[in-house]
Amino acid sequence: MLQRFLDPATLASISGLDLVAKTVVDGFIAGLHRSPDYGFSQEFAEYRAYTPGDDLRHVDWNVFARSERVYLKRYRGETNTQLLILLDASASMGFGSHTVNKLDYARYLAASLCYLAHAQRDAAGLIVFDEDVQNYLAPATRQGQLFRLLHAIEKAEPGTRTDFAKPFTHFLNFMRRRGLVVVISDYYERPEVIVKTIEPLRFRGNEVILFHVLDPQEIAPQFREPVLLTDMETSGTLEVSPEYARSEYRRKIDSHVQALRDQAKGAGLDYFLMDTARPLDEGLREYLSVRQERM
Amino acid sequence: MGFLAPWALLGVAAVGLPVWLHLLKKHKTTPVPFSSLMFFERRTQSSIKHRRLQYLLLLALRVAVLALLAVAFARPYLQAHLGALVSGRKLTVLAVDQSFSMREGDRLERAKRSAAEAAARLSEGEKLQVLAFGSQVRVLGDSAAAIQTIEPSDTRSSYAELSRALRSIAQSAQMPVEAHLFSDMQKSSLPANFADLRLGDGVTLLAHPVADRRMGNFAVESVLAPRRVYGNGKARIQATVAGYGTERATRHVSLFLNGREIASKSVDVPAGGRAAAEFLSVDVPFGLNRGEGRIDRGDTLAADDRFYFSVERAEARRVLFVHEARAGRDALYFGAALAAGEETAFELETVAPGQTAGLTPQKYAFVVLSDVSSLPASFEAALRGYVRAGGSLLVALGRESALRPRVPVFDEAVIEVRYFARDADRFQTAAWLDSAHPSIHDAQHWDDVKFYQAVRINPGHARVAARLGDQTPLLVEKQIGEGRVLVFTSTFDNVSNDFPLHPSFVPFVAHTANYLAHEEEGPANYIVGAYLRLRQTREQGAAVEVLDPRGQRALTLEGATHAETMPLAMAGFYDVKRPNGRHELVAVNADRRESDLEPMPSDTLALWQNTAQAKGGAASGEATAERKPVEFWWYALIAVLALAVAESLLGNRHLTLDSRTGLESEKEAA
Repeated sequence: MLQRFLDPATLASISGLDLVAKTVVDGFIAGLHRSPDYGFSQEFAEYRAYTPGDDLRHVDWNVFARSERVYLKRYRGETNTQLLILLDASASMGFGSHTVNKLDYARYLAASLCYLAHAQRDAAGLIVFDEDVQNYLAPATRQGQLFRLLHAIEKAEPGTRTDFAKPFTHFLNFMRRRGLVVVISDYYERPEVIVKTIEPLRFRGNEVILFHVLDPQEIAPQFREPVLLTDMETSGTLEVSPEYARSEYRRKIDSHVQALRDQAKGAGLDYFLMDTARPLDEGLREYLSVRQERM
Repeated sequence: MGFLAPWALLGVAAVGLPVWLHLLKKHKTTPVPFSSLMFFERRTQSSIKHRRLQYLLLLALRVAVLALLAVAFARPYLQAHLGALVSGRKLTVLAVDQSFSMREGDRLERAKRSAAEAAARLSEGEKLQVLAFGSQVRVLGDSAAAIQTIEPSDTRSSYAELSRALRSIAQSAQMPVEAHLFSDMQKSSLPANFADLRLGDGVTLLAHPVADRRMGNFAVESVLAPRRVYGNGKARIQATVAGYGTERATRHVSLFLNGREIASKSVDVPAGGRAAAEFLSVDVPFGLNRGEGRIDRGDTLAADDRFYFSVERAEARRVLFVHEARAGRDALYFGAALAAGEETAFELETVAPGQTAGLTPQKYAFVVLSDVSSLPASFEAALRGYVRAGGSLLVALGRESALRPRVPVFDEAVIEVRYFARDADRFQTAAWLDSAHPSIHDAQHWDDVKFYQAVRINPGHARVAARLGDQTPLLVEKQIGEGRVLVFTSTFDNVSNDFPLHPSFVPFVAHTANYLAHEEEGPANYIVGAYLRLRQTREQGAAVEVLDPRGQRALTLEGATHAETMPLAMAGFYDVKRPNGRHELVAVNADRRESDLEPMPSDTLALWQNTAQAKGGAASGEATAERKPVEFWWYALIAVLALAVAESLLGNRHLTLDSRTGLESEKEAA
């Protein structure tokens, strides 16, 4: 079956994040996402014997009528989890070598995930951060939550530098119940620092997914001649030769990505590299497919 | 290698400009924002080195352009070794004398034969140049066959002209020149200044004389005859016979007119001397006559045994004298002066201004307007056309003509009439005379001519030939078209002056009449090589027709309408029809210096040959090995041009890259 994916440039031409998210999600994502918890759903999971204190509403009275035994009926729910998206809005996320910069791409990704959660009646929340928490929307399923989320995502602008420690420490205080935590960032920090900062989320029973958003120019810079580069976060400058960018830099960035992937895996965190030149729906589909197989 | 303008090498300092610009450019690199420099290392040295490598070619091109430009302006040269350059090659020049003296015996044939033998001795591939020379040098080509085309001429040989041509050939050929001279080596052909014989460096002169001893030669040196005979007058003709290297001899001189002998006489010519034969009362037929003075043959150069001259018998030419009817004495004085000469060449025809309406000025030798107050417009217009076509006009100004605002035909303003008292010596005299003017060139006794009245005019750009003591122009001449207008600012009537009563008046009128009637223009006889004046100004009018002695047209169509002069290339009679309708017969003779067949001394010839080695110092007959500066600045300029084009292309490429540097270009690529 031919799958047509949406080019990031196409998404950028769509006005309104809700429409972008709907475009990405509708049609192929629904059904792939599984909640890590059981809940109200039409899909039967198993029976278990009744113990005092259980909610009588879950008793399968048909079984009781046939066998005079009390069993509780359990279902595999799709909507009964809490999604919290941590969106990095540091200055470096404003970088882009083509029509869609990293923050745009991260916005589309976050909006798509929110839309997906909303479609499955999951509670979804958002934290926008750079070196501090810029915006926070607590996970909820109440009416209008999706639009509040999309509005907050749309308002996110590149801020200052990235500091994982401060916003994550702050964020731990908001975590009331376990759920799905999605961290979208370019992760310009040492992998051990990143993992060490994010790892406590996992200890609280959350499922943590790291989306590593990188521009193709960051993955494989193509400089034809020496250039003077300015750090978008520190404003420091450095003259870089094409040879270095082609060889040494690539080796370093590959090493960084690999280290982050390995250490995240070691800490029980999901890691997924998102190239902003790649169609978003293709990336999401690939990730969700891999995740479904793992569950 | 050296430089002719070494100070221009200071311009090499300008190469610092591109070096400075290239270094400056490094500091002006536009920063490109990047997400994080976390994985980059500071490798400034490496990147600068890379940049220098990147722009090294452009920098080198720019430096080379400026350096080469400075070098080109310094005019570099190399000391080229001429001998080494030509490496044994030489140019053989065969110069054959075709002057008038080569008509003696079989001199020219012998010269051509010797030249042909010399050409035959040349080895395969050796360069050859054939020249024929007389008063001028003609290059006939590089084939030995050209030798046979050489014909005898009537010109005079000039060894100075030959030397100049050899110098020019040696300079342009840039190789040793071996010149073989086939000539009678006439002494009379040597220039007055021996330096004119200097041969060029690298020229070797080898003489092949065709006359080894002096030949005695008689020639008709000149014939003096009147150019025109008027009325029933007789002509007096004198022929001079000259002997060059001859013994005392008696020569028979004959006078021919139109091919018919009319008189003859014997004269004793002393050894190497001259004798004149005078023919008195020669009857000359009416019209143009071709005359010849001949001597009987007594030597081997027959061409100079005859001398051409022309003589014309004509009716006295009419002169139109226009004056006011009430005046009278002016015509009397002027006519008397005209008739006072030996021969009456002019007849005065007096008319009043009112009678001129139907007259045609072209029928008159010249026209005189003597103190005329007014003229019929048709006649004045006819006068203008007449003068413009070559006619002449004499205007005398007095009280009547001063009433006009402008001098007729002359077209300059009349300013005032000046009166000078007759008493107390307050009259004016001619204080300044231009003795070069034909009217007054031998004027004497003008000092005591008293002028009591003169009309002051604006001379404009006209030539003032005489002035009174108060600087009033007295005689003014203006050239209009082909003709001339002479204005005498006083009168001829013995009222405004007493000029008609003075002896100087007759020669003045006679000379003026001859001058205005073009009676004394040009020499009586021309020599070959002289130039005949065809028209007075560059103004284009009717064509001049000239038939040469062979009866062929001597001028092209363009030359007939535009040429001011033409060379007379051969002896004989040239038939000339001038724009004003006058028909002339111009007699042309060879230069009689060619009749002296004495060869130049051998030591003079040796000195001439040695002029080639004065600088080089090499032995004769061998190519001189000389070092000559050869400039090559144009090569440097060509290189600058090529480098500038390359620099433009490369620089343009870098500019394009600069505008797309780094990430911007990658965006477009994506």
